[in-house]
Amino acid sequence: MRRLISLVLFTLMFGIILGGCGFKDIDKRFFVVAAGIDESGNPNKPFRVTLRLAVTSPKIEPGAGKSQIETIEAKTIAEGVRELKAYVDKELDFGHCKIFMLGEKLARTEMTQALNWMTRRRDIQMIANVSIGKPSAEAILQIQPKTERYPGNTLFLSFGKEGTDSSYTLSEYVFGLRKRLTEKGIDPVLPIIVSERDTYRISQVGLFNKKKLVTTLKPEETQLYNQITKTYLKSSLGGNVEDDPYVLTVGKIRSNYNIKNGPQGKPVVQMIIRINGLLEEAPKMVFEKDWTPIEQELGRQYSKAVVQLLKKFQRYGVDPVGFGIRYRATHYSGGDKTWQDWQRMYPNIDFDVQTHVTIEGTGLIK
Amino acid sequence: MINRILTMFAEAKDLITKRLRNDDTYIEIAYIDSLCDESKISEAIFVPFSRNQKPFQEIVEFSSEFKPVHEMTEWTSSLLRGYVLVHINGKYYSYDASRNIRIETQTTQVESSIQGPQLALTEDLKDGLNLIRNRYPEPSLAVEERTLGTVSKTRIAILFDNRKVNSKVLKNVQKKLLEINSDMLHSAGEVVRELVGNRKQLFPTTLISERPDRISNSIAQGKIVILMHGSMFGIILPVTFFDLMNSMDDQYEGFWMSRTLLIMRYFSVLLTVTLPAMYISIVSYNPELFRVQLAFSIAGSRSAVPYPSFIEVLVMLFMIEMLVEASVRLPRYIGSTGTTVGGLILGQAAQQAGLVSSIMIIVTSVVAITNFVIPNNAMAFAIRFLKYPLILLAVFYGITGVCIGMFIYFVYLSSIRSFGVPYFRLHGKLTRSAEGDLGQVSST
Repeated sequence: MRRLISLVLFTLMFGIILGGCGFKDIDKRFFVVAAGIDESGNPNKPFRVTLRLAVTSPKIEPGAGKSQIETIEAKTIAEGVRELKAYVDKELDFGHCKIFMLGEKLARTEMTQALNWMTRRRDIQMIANVSIGKPSAEAILQIQPKTERYPGNTLFLSFGKEGTDSSYTLSEYVFGLRKRLTEKGIDPVLPIIVSERDTYRISQVGLFNKKKLVTTLKPEETQLYNQITKTYLKSSLGGNVEDDPYVLTVGKIRSNYNIKNGPQGKPVVQMIIRINGLLEEAPKMVFEKDWTPIEQELGRQYSKAVVQLLKKFQRYGVDPVGFGIRYRATHYSGGDKTWQDWQRMYPNIDFDVQTHVTIEGTGLIK
Repeated sequence: MINRILTMFAEAKDLITKRLRNDDTYIEIAYIDSLCDESKISEAIFVPFSRNQKPFQEIVEFSSEFKPVHEMTEWTSSLLRGYVLVHINGKYYSYDASRNIRIETQTTQVESSIQGPQLALTEDLKDGLNLIRNRYPEPSLAVEERTLGTVSKTRIAILFDNRKVNSKVLKNVQKKLLEINSDMLHSAGEVVRELVGNRKQLFPTTLISERPDRISNSIAQGKIVILMHGSMFGIILPVTFFDLMNSMDDQYEGFWMSRTLLIMRYFSVLLTVTLPAMYISIVSYNPELFRVQLAFSIAGSRSAVPYPSFIEVLVMLFMIEMLVEASVRLPRYIGSTGTTVGGLILGQAAQQAGLVSSIMIIVTSVVAITNFVIPNNAMAFAIRFLKYPLILLAVFYGITGVCIGMFIYFVYLSSIRSFGVPYFRLHGKLTRSAEGDLGQVSST
């Protein structure tokens, strides 16, 4: 028994060495709240890494969030971060870094290396949000919103589920981006953050092929894209029926699609969208009217817009909705053949979108 | 007789010996007056003897209160228990005139209940038996009496339901009681320590209770109860971990809230054991586990603290343990001053002086409060200790260490047997696969 105890103690003592330098108190860490990666233009040191570090204080009140910005140019991102450690007095910790930003210029040329770094580094969480900074990530990080309670909060709330749930904002996680980047048949989409004096505007997305940014979507297109890829999105849908403007606040939106062979043997993506909502703007006395024609007209206009958007994707050769992965899943024909089939089909595929709008009420109590 | 007794005892002023003679009889009596009730003696012996309406020898022979003493060896022991020895015509009798100083039957103090019975056991064995007999009027209730302790000769009673008791456990307990070899035994805790044998056992494997309702319930469940003369606590055995986490109010109050409280109680045990360790491991190893806001405010409030997190935790835990210990020992009148000084002033000042962070104050108070939730004192003591090894593991291995520590605790708990009954067995109906099988592993 005594021998056993001493053996256990001995093992434990050796284990103490294994603990190593993991022990680092929370106040001896510098939390990175947002990281930006830009292209520097310097061929020897192509990356410009910008980190926004949180200056913590025990008081949390509006406007009290202070942060420190550090920028460095380096050959690789990892080297840059390591070198940055020499600029600060505490250990850098990416554990709370929820925002990673790629500069627009970098995104247009090459983004895989940045993502590679993010997925490999131990303390970067895979649930961090990735976005594009326009004009550059550094410019976005330099903005210090006045109302922030603690550093980085504005961006966290914009992308997170608990703050704003704007239908124009898309959030993409590191793991999601990685999936879209490596999986055949679905392409990455990242939100674009634009600086607007002291605050941000996140109402656009950038479409990527497997390597770089191809094009950007307008805010209306961004909302459409969000609507067809998500359910239960608080958004709106507008249209004119007989010159009267109607705006529907969408309570529930579902879209289904199938990839079928059309009548002439031409493959067709059949998409059915169901929208339930309340009228938010409508002409007077709409309650007395027959709603069916209004619903049909709104649906027709909506379908048209969706088809236009899907055609745009097709034109740029990207597939952010993931039709390709669906096709691969449902039309398996051995080996890599499905994928080659799809690559052949996609440029000429037809889109057939039907929208069923249901108006649940006028928003007024009669 | 008197001469012999005088030689047996050391010179004692309270040893009274008398030779009495009336018209026809000559008696000798001896008693220790500090142990006896004088009025009882005069009522039973002096008055009838001096009046002599009936021959005194007849009275002695008819009365059941006078018990014949056959052996000379019994003399001292019966004198020391407060009996009066009477020598009459070559025969010896003892008469119980003992006077016990004890607290009168009183309300529960250690295990209070809101709407349950308020009566507690008393320090007198007979009263205790009375209380339990009244609550368990079954002919199958067996009462064995014996004495423990070579010097103290404490009387104990072993109670169990003859039909329900597990004979294996009973034999085990009887054997262990015989093996007890100690001079002085005064409290239930000492008996438990002798019974369990292993002094270094971390968790209590017996339940010490002052509630007659709890004791009778346990007897009905087939458990064995040991009552002690001179101690107002009974020992219930065997018990499981979950018995010790049960309070009597759980059975007396409404279903939903009492079950919810039960769940919260287990949750608070988990908190009190792991919270200090988790604080260290999250603050010093994995701050990403906090929400951002919390992480920043902890980092902010900790930035004034000069020592690493574990020193901070140890300082605060030391303070709170001393506070608890002091308030137990202090007389009731100063007790509240102690808590005020310790809790309010020290806590506030320690944080303002930058010795500990404000979050640590919360952690400390949560640890202390959740520990008080545990209904059994022995269990609360055991659980109070559990956090320290975990703190050590957390310092060196972080969250992994805490997980491994908890795993070790669970393994240890499962390995404990309370008099042959698995300690960590969940409640529930047992399926017996064979005769004498309780669905349990035997200790031998």
